[in-house]
Amino acid sequence: MKLLFTSKYFSSYQYDKGRCFYVDFYRKTVKLSFCQLLAFRQQVKKINPENHFNGENKSGIEILMLCNREHIFILDTLEILDLQELVNGTFGMLELNSLLSAPA
Amino acid sequence: MKDLVRQKLSIHVEIMDLLNKQIQKEAHSSSAYLAMASWCDHNALTNSAKFFYDQSLEEREHMLKIFKFINDNGGTAYSPEVQGIEHDYNSLQEIFEVALDQEITITKSIHNIVYKCRKVQDLNTENFLLWFVTEQAEEEQTMRRALELFDLMGTEGLALKFIDERIPQIRE
Repeated sequence: MKLLFTSKYFSSYQYDKGRCFYVDFYRKTVKLSFCQLLAFRQQVKKINPENHFNGENKSGIEILMLCNREHIFILDTLEILDLQELVNGTFGMLELNSLLSAPA
Repeated sequence: MKDLVRQKLSIHVEIMDLLNKQIQKEAHSSSAYLAMASWCDHNALTNSAKFFYDQSLEEREHMLKIFKFINDNGGTAYSPEVQGIEHDYNSLQEIFEVALDQEITITKSIHNIVYKCRKVQDLNTENFLLWFVTEQAEEEQTMRRALELFDLMGTEGLALKFIDERIPQIRE
């Protein structure tokens, strides 16, 4: 399994043999197909952390359901910010890998 | 490390995001035309109403075309939410002016995605979008033709009725 990116709380991996990805949520590791990884990315990108500070999201938590509601995560503001960093970093590394793997 | 992303996805991830935004714009456009059709219907402008019903359907077809393209290429298309549709207009002329502005906005958006495709070398999507580039030029021209009718005939009294009668021909 190859490490793609590590943020403060989370890590992402690519598993070539299984043709899938893993995200380590520090107490639980979730296996994701590429399609599920895209859905995860979309969910995380849709979150506006500003809502945690302007009173719109008074609880300061976000609920994420992954892999067709197989997993549920309840995350606070710091974890959400960190997760967004993880998603950006992961897709940045995947793009870099695509560039390096492309035939000259 | 294997390039799993490329194996699963034939389009660039950022381009996929832009195409999903374009889906939202096309859906918004389709709903806006539906509101215009309703206004025309209520004001006894039958031909204009039909024109905007057809326009609404056309925008929806554009949206579906992009939607299917994303999914066919391994990406995930998201069904759009539509909000903020204007239902109040002062005149038929205003409606066509808004329609032209709307088409120009869509054209610019398509062009921006094409430029981005060139930047990230996504030739597949660029090739797909070229149809939209041509289509948008035609859409803009149609709306301009409608506005030219107001320049020619004015906006008062019988002129409005004559313009409505001519609307079916502006696509030709």
